[in-house]
Amino acid sequence: MDLTQSFSSLGADIIVSAPLVLTMVMGLVIVVLDAFRRNHVATPWIAALTLAFGLVMEITRIGAASGTAYYDLLRVGGMAAYVNALIFGSGLLTVILARPYLESIGHHIGEVYALILFASTGMIVLGTANSLITIFVGFETMSICLYILTGLVRTNQGATESALKYFLLGAFATGFLLYGIALMYGATGTMYLHEMQSAVGDHQTMFRSGVGLLLVGFLFKVSAVPFHMWTPDVYQGAPTPLVGYMSTASKSAAFASLILVLYLALPSTQWIGVVAVIALLTMVIGNVIALAQTNVKRMLAYSSIAHAGYILVGLAAGSPEGYSGALFYLLVYTVMNIGAFGVIALLEWDGTQGSEQSLDSLSGIGYKKPLLAWSMVFFMFGLAGFPPLGGFIGKVAVFGPAIHSGLTWLAIVGVLTSAVSAYYYLRVLVVFFMKESNPDVATDNITFSVPGMSAAVIVLCVIMLIVLGIVPTFLDVTASFFDGNMLATLP
Amino acid sequence: MAVPWYWSALLAFVVVNFLLISASVLVYAERKISAAMQNRPGPNRVGPVGFLQPFADVAKLLLKENIVPYLANPFVHSLAPFLMVVIAMTTGALIPFAKGVVVADLGVGVLVLLALTSISVYGITLAGWSSNSKFSLLGGLRSAAQMISYELSMGLAVVSVILIAGTLNLTEIVESQAGGMSLLGWNLFRNPIGATIFIVTAFAETNRTPFDLPEAEQELVGGYHTEYSGMKFGMFFLAEYVNFFVASFFIVTLFFGGYLIPFQSALVSAVPALDGSIWLSLLQVMTLILKAGFFAYLFIWVRWTLPRFKYNQLMTLGWKYLLPIALVNVLVIALIISLFRTF
Amino acid sequence: MLAEYGPFFIQLGLAIVLAFAFLKGAALLGPSRPNRIKQMPYESGMDPIGTARTRYSVKFYLVAMIFIVFDVEVVFLYPWAASFERFLDAGVGLEVLGVVTIFVIILAVGLVYDIKKGGLEFD
Repeated sequence: MDLTQSFSSLGADIIVSAPLVLTMVMGLVIVVLDAFRRNHVATPWIAALTLAFGLVMEITRIGAASGTAYYDLLRVGGMAAYVNALIFGSGLLTVILARPYLESIGHHIGEVYALILFASTGMIVLGTANSLITIFVGFETMSICLYILTGLVRTNQGATESALKYFLLGAFATGFLLYGIALMYGATGTMYLHEMQSAVGDHQTMFRSGVGLLLVGFLFKVSAVPFHMWTPDVYQGAPTPLVGYMSTASKSAAFASLILVLYLALPSTQWIGVVAVIALLTMVIGNVIALAQTNVKRMLAYSSIAHAGYILVGLAAGSPEGYSGALFYLLVYTVMNIGAFGVIALLEWDGTQGSEQSLDSLSGIGYKKPLLAWSMVFFMFGLAGFPPLGGFIGKVAVFGPAIHSGLTWLAIVGVLTSAVSAYYYLRVLVVFFMKESNPDVATDNITFSVPGMSAAVIVLCVIMLIVLGIVPTFLDVTASFFDGNMLATLP
Repeated sequence: MAVPWYWSALLAFVVVNFLLISASVLVYAERKISAAMQNRPGPNRVGPVGFLQPFADVAKLLLKENIVPYLANPFVHSLAPFLMVVIAMTTGALIPFAKGVVVADLGVGVLVLLALTSISVYGITLAGWSSNSKFSLLGGLRSAAQMISYELSMGLAVVSVILIAGTLNLTEIVESQAGGMSLLGWNLFRNPIGATIFIVTAFAETNRTPFDLPEAEQELVGGYHTEYSGMKFGMFFLAEYVNFFVASFFIVTLFFGGYLIPFQSALVSAVPALDGSIWLSLLQVMTLILKAGFFAYLFIWVRWTLPRFKYNQLMTLGWKYLLPIALVNVLVIALIISLFRTF
Repeated sequence: MLAEYGPFFIQLGLAIVLAFAFLKGAALLGPSRPNRIKQMPYESGMDPIGTARTRYSVKFYLVAMIFIVFDVEVVFLYPWAASFERFLDAGVGLEVLGVVTIFVIILAVGLVYDIKKGGLEFD
């Protein structure tokens, strides 16, 4: 091996992946800063600025041609830039929402921001991975940070329980993922996604077992049925703004990676059936169970399961349109969910991260906090998929390609379950605006002071949701990632 | 060059016996030296000037009853001393006694050495856990924490040696110190910080004073071997002495020129007949044993001179001082090497 | 390649035989008259109180976890150290050293954090 070539591209790779490298370095800076100046006031700002820088830089590169860095281990530009922008955006909004929230529950500690940055690093590595090794590394980096963030309020039994549950189940899922990677590598002799299909040869059985196990790991992360059991408990116990982050950014990363795996490593249509069945189960079970929820956070957790089902419909289509629709849906979903969890975080009163907060306790809140409640109107309509909001376009973008691919039955189920979901989404609004405030629940001592920055984030989410619904160009952007040159740029 | 297996077996047999005998000599030496330091006679009844005392002790221990406490795990209770003795004796296989005189001349000798030393943590921890005694448990836990803490610094000190030598083979590491008349080329002079760290951690790894908290007799009675009696206790005792003698050998091998005789090249050019003869090998073995004997004496000397650390001091030294210094040392050594080679 | 381990296993075998001989020899030569008092765990002459299989300080777990991290670091440094000369010969020594320095710094940050947060305080 010629050693002199080992470092020739390193400098260029670092520049190309500057947001990723910077995120990690600033995470380390925060760790050191926090070690010397505990909970320094600058910590959230460092994190926010880092994420904002990454967001701006990745947005400017969405149009750029996609390429690879670090010996084809990571993808950059194009779709990778889009996914990274999603992750950075989600992280940035979360940091802004989380600071006042964590202060109010007395757990404003500097490590949170370091963990968010590290988790973002892991998500970027996962979402832009071009090799099974990077998938695993990103997957683990992300998951471990999220386990800790879940159990942030360690004096709370519920939070500890959900963190432990998340950790144990997550570790189990990682085992599946790793075993799948091992089998896929064994069958093909390569770790690179784009080389897999041609290298399978006559080891089809081993390869298929590997893909099956790999899918289990991914489906766990995106909380698809039947691997969704952790989701409600974890979302219930974790600090609310961080739940928004977990449910959006980690889903974006895992779905982006899953799309790359399906698109590059498994271009044949043999996996469509599996994904379609999973999508069907996820939509039906997620939506139906959500109907029965009285706890706001659990309701949103089941709603996020259902949305994973909608995105899986796009994946099940197995066509570039389906994948680009799924990517677009991820953007809409990020905006809606960060907003919805942000509103719930701001309306929290029980001091235990809303883990016991029932929907009824928020009766009549629409007249006390009109801004938050009216924002919630948009988010709920968006999540239910009403036009002209982004949620509607997103559903069109995933159900349309499914029909083109002959999965009409799946699209019909999707539409029907969306109709079902309208019931529990609109119930939130009914409670907010049409019910008298509940005298049994101690809402009198509520001191909802809404910080300006948080309100700005919520409003921004609303505006984004409307813009995504009426400006159709975003869909063209995600479609352009699959213009056929995606493979061409690979060596 | 393939050595016939029976030569290796013979050499291994000699090494094991050498270690056994030197352990008894060291026990005797420790008692005599401590006696001299405390101005008392020490053992003087069995044999001339008490020289046969260790052998009498072994005979006594063999004839004693082996007591296993209630609710102890009998298998693990026996496994622990077994492990200790096996590990202590096996590390001897890696010592290059002279050029070409080594039981197992492994390409990755240093790695095997570190692997073996880290296994001996198990011996002590299992002894502490299996005895069903609070003193033992505390001693075992302390020793596990202590040994793994110092293993890091020891590993990093070894990394700095490997950087200089460019090999993991112990014989080649010794030969790489042949410059400067086999004296100034010692790694002690090329890597003084690494040498210091290695010596300190060697004390900690062998649980010798001032790092003997695992057995701290004043507070933990006997630490991990409180519940051991008869020959099982003897095995721990034997392993301790073999361990610190072997540690002396490795200190010498890695940092003090190993078997190299100071001014060896001058000696060989003065007496050409010596070159490649068995006499040179013998001289080298003598040199190594003398050097190692000095460090064995140092181990004993320190034990009867210094008091024991407190536990927090021990951890502070290991983690807050030795580990960062060792890390920086590795990088500095690498930088110096690359600067020398580049310019 | 594996043949060079032959002598090592011979010595290992000798050591096992020796240790076994000690154990068996003591069992054969020594008396065996166990009784309840003799088998009581030693507790300075008192009857033992409670069980010895108790919970102990979580600090030990912490040390063990940090050890794993740094031990893996050291293990990664071995192949680098052994082949550093070859990197120098190839003219990329300083680059390799830079990469290793970054690697060490990342872990050193962890150590600094741990020390500052009091993870290694045993007072």
